[in-house]
Amino acid sequence: MAANFWASTQRLHWQFSRETLSDVRQQLEDEDRNLVQQYPLPDRRLLSIFFNQQLGKLGKKMNIRQQALATAQVYMRRFYSKVEIRRTNPYLVLATALYLACKMEECPQHIRVVVSEARQQWPEFIISDVSKLGECEFYLISEMNSQLIIHHPYRTLQEFQGTLNMAQDDVSLAWSIVNDHYLTDLPLLVPPHVIAVTAMFLALTLKPTQTGLQSAATSAAALSSASPTSKEPAGTSQGPPSTQQKKVQHLVSWLAEGEVDITACIECSQEIISLYDVWEQYNEKTCKEQIARFVKARGLDK
Amino acid sequence: MSGTNPPSSAATARALEATQSLKRSVQAAFDESQDARKAPPNNGYTSKVRVLDRYKVVGFISSGTYGRVYKAVGVNGQVGEFAIKKFKPDKEGETIQYTGISQSACREMALCSELSHPNMIHLVEIILEDKCIFMVFEYAEHDLLQIIQHHSQPTRYPIPASAIKSILFQLLNGLLYLHTNWVLHRDLKPANIMVTSKGEVRIGDLGLARLFYKPLHNLFSGDKVVVTIWYRAPELLLGSRHYTPAIDLWAVGCIFAELLSLRPIFKGEEAKMDSKKTVPFQKNQMQKIVEILGMPTKEKWPGLVHQPEFTQLQSVSSAVREASQGKTGLEAWYWNTLKSTGYPDSPPSANPGPQGLDLLAKLLEYDPSKRLTAEQALQHPYFTANGERVTANCFEGMTTQYPHRRVSADDNDIRMSSLPGTKRGGLPDDSLTGRPTKRMKD
Ligand SMILES: Nc1ncnc2c1ncn2[C@@H]1O[C@H](COP(=O)(O)OP(=O)(O)OP(=O)(O)O)[C@@H](O)[C@H]1O
Ligand SMILES: [Mg+2]
Repeated sequence: MAANFWASTQRLHWQFSRETLSDVRQQLEDEDRNLVQQYPLPDRRLLSIFFNQQLGKLGKKMNIRQQALATAQVYMRRFYSKVEIRRTNPYLVLATALYLACKMEECPQHIRVVVSEARQQWPEFIISDVSKLGECEFYLISEMNSQLIIHHPYRTLQEFQGTLNMAQDDVSLAWSIVNDHYLTDLPLLVPPHVIAVTAMFLALTLKPTQTGLQSAATSAAALSSASPTSKEPAGTSQGPPSTQQKKVQHLVSWLAEGEVDITACIECSQEIISLYDVWEQYNEKTCKEQIARFVKARGLDK
Repeated sequence: MSGTNPPSSAATARALEATQSLKRSVQAAFDESQDARKAPPNNGYTSKVRVLDRYKVVGFISSGTYGRVYKAVGVNGQVGEFAIKKFKPDKEGETIQYTGISQSACREMALCSELSHPNMIHLVEIILEDKCIFMVFEYAEHDLLQIIQHHSQPTRYPIPASAIKSILFQLLNGLLYLHTNWVLHRDLKPANIMVTSKGEVRIGDLGLARLFYKPLHNLFSGDKVVVTIWYRAPELLLGSRHYTPAIDLWAVGCIFAELLSLRPIFKGEEAKMDSKKTVPFQKNQMQKIVEILGMPTKEKWPGLVHQPEFTQLQSVSSAVREASQGKTGLEAWYWNTLKSTGYPDSPPSANPGPQGLDLLAKLLEYDPSKRLTAEQALQHPYFTANGERVTANCFEGMTTQYPHRRVSADDNDIRMSSLPGTKRGGLPDDSLTGRPTKRMKD
């Protein structure tokens, strides 16, 4: 486990209780009540799905690795816990978060490349002026108090693979669950290793036939049917149940050794499962339109 | 200057006068931002905090690779002295534009915000204002370069053994903190190691530092050349892309040696990049190391033959400079150095002694996997020899008063010219420094 997570700014300044987080957001909305009423937006998670899909497309064109995308998502979430989204051009913020994340994750991209790719992807919302993105970078860094180092669950997950002797299939399912958690508030609520454990746990309690899932959308149904608290592995079609059971037991006993807060894990899995429920309401078009409304009306794309 | 006298009042008055006159020009550098603030652009970013509301700039300290360092005092409730590192954006034509923050500045901002240790320079805050980044640090009155120079001019006299011990201990302590937090400094050298007026050592300049844990990708991609050449570890000189904490420990060894001898131990000349921007083999630097340590062998360093530039070693002469009377090169260098710098033989506490040599040899170990780690180095008997304890104040018991850091308004301050990596003036020989090539624009 990252020995330094405990002293990190992520733990000290960017982990909130659910109550605090919702207070903070409430306050933001209260300060801009008119704006908020005038421009309704979908559920935050649906917006996150939209942003993530957009980010994924942009990242794919530039061949950017997952960890940088994850960092960009955390930057977005942090930023929007301090700034009312309707005061910003989310597309610009998205591109900027990615640009900054790439530098911090040691896969830097030239600012011109980011701007031109972003402009290609969102011609209506991005002008080809690098200084806009440069300025937004100042905004982002300033709101995050220059606290740019992000601890991700991926490392813990990798350690598990070794110490708990996880099968590749389980690990890749867990990996995609970790990817999905960035669509929720979990990165602002729980430490990364709790996410990793939860993802592992969910991966093991899922039906083995569901292993190898690529996208969370398809795993939604499977996950929502899996009870997070159930220690019974679901029925199997591959491999004897005893193996699967053993793995879960192994994980559970490891948990019991006190390394990880089990209640936190349970809450965490509930959060992820409810994400998969909400996902069914996702509608890209709505997100796009509702964002475009305030961006255009307020000239934020200029 | 004898170094033991406090500055005369006349000198103080003169210094004050100079300070007054330079205030205007230095202040001007900050005023640019004030004017621009009057008309914030539509929807634009404006800083909530203004540098000049909190700090009054009293002078210019140094011009580095990415910007300049100023001395300031706090105002409006902010108390104390500060060093403000200002990163300038690029100019496009006449007007200053946002062009994206360099990766090195990003790392420095992020790491300084994350780290906190008594032996690290303390970051007070970062202000992003009018296209410039201002990193506000606690002010450190001295740095090791300045201390070394004070002991070499006009007459050479040794830095007390107890002070060196304390400096080294604090330096290693700070480094241990960095390494346990997965941070490589990568640019340790005397100019980047600050000392406060209370004798506390503070590691500074994290401009090249980076995290090394990230197992998810090739950690060694990106910048090719690291560490000012005189402090560069042999594995880097031999083309290794595998940066490990050991490179920082090599630099500590070089700094230890320099504190003892008051001169860089391996003062090589940097071979410049050719027009194709390929990084040349640093033959001269390697030569300087071999002259003292002897040729590395595959018996002592099994990984040697796998170094990318291994074959280049053939071009390096294997003659050892000072080896004599059955002593290894380093041993000979060490005892000659102690003698010529003027360390007395007694009392034992006044001399770095055989334990000092042993520690030095283990820091200047060719094989990076055998080189001491920061943790091991801190356990070395050198620090407990003669039943002494290491002092927390490296100046404890000293009569020497080091001069205050020079603060000036002049860009072409020649004080530190021609030192690799200390790009302090716009002098032509600064092109030799290697710094600009290291911090390639990202
Ligand atoms: N906190 C401080 N207190 C006093 N002086 C400082 C402080 N920080 C930096 N300086 C001075 O400014 C110089 C340059 O600072 P720093 O090394 O951080 O910048 P840099 O741009 O990396 O410079 P360089 O390229 O010369 O290494 C230092 O060598 C030191 O003389
Ligand atoms: Mg420096």
